[in-house]
Amino acid sequence: MVRIKFLLMGGIVLGLSLTLLLIYPQGEEKKIKKQFRLFSELVLKDSEEDSFTLLKKAKQIGSLFDDPCELKMSDPPLSGSYSREEIISFAIRARSHFSQLALKFYDLNIGLFQEGMARVVLTSRLIGRSTSGEGIDEVRELECLLEKIEKKWLFKQVEVVEVLKK
Amino acid sequence: MEPTYSNGEFNFCWRLRYLLSEPKRFDVVVVRFAGTRIMLLKRVIAFEGEEVKFYEGKLFINGQKLDEPYLRYPCYWNLPPRRVEKGCLYLIGDNRSMPIEDHYFGQTLKSRVIGSPIW
Repeated sequence: MVRIKFLLMGGIVLGLSLTLLLIYPQGEEKKIKKQFRLFSELVLKDSEEDSFTLLKKAKQIGSLFDDPCELKMSDPPLSGSYSREEIISFAIRARSHFSQLALKFYDLNIGLFQEGMARVVLTSRLIGRSTSGEGIDEVRELECLLEKIEKKWLFKQVEVVEVLKK
Repeated sequence: MEPTYSNGEFNFCWRLRYLLSEPKRFDVVVVRFAGTRIMLLKRVIAFEGEEVKFYEGKLFINGQKLDEPYLRYPCYWNLPPRRVEKGCLYLIGDNRSMPIEDHYFGQTLKSRVIGSPIW
């Protein structure tokens, strides 16, 4: 009778552990998707903005990234390690250059590995119009590495996948 | 890929095309560009280990000029020789009338080739 009780308790604990193991990644995946949605919302610019809004949005964009963050991009050649301040500065310059800007993410493929690390392969589309009227519509595959730091998923590495290498 | 395929055209990808065979030179293939929905149409011109170069608009593979009857527009490209890496194919479009910097071409992993257009 005692043995049965212990077996039953062991079974319940095992069942609960398995359930948590299944739910946990899904919960984390939702949080990661939320970060990408937030990134997209922060980049969005559809009208002129004052300096205060520009700076606020740039700082918020910067807060999505780890310090430093690694960027791998061959065209244009922007590969390197960037501090949060540099990312904020880059965001300010980019937002100033464009009168309209939108960054959209599709087909996120999220893989959790190690504790608090995730690799995400996705499609990104950057649409915009510069202040001089030049339009931009670029689609690229991205491979991002995110790390969970103080309960927030931050971008640690962003790679623009080079599909065709000349 | 003008004039072989025009912008705005509609087609299907035969995904089983290379299930039991390998792409051949001059095959037009569908390349997975981003995610599962963004594809490119490009032509296979070289295989792993081969040397590719452009000289005055002419394509050379391993030092031999390649005859490309499907080309319709003039090309004036110059590209130093480069070798196709292991597991890769060298792909290029048929429309080479623009500056070489504006044309998206090069070597890609064979695994990115997912099939060929049906027509």
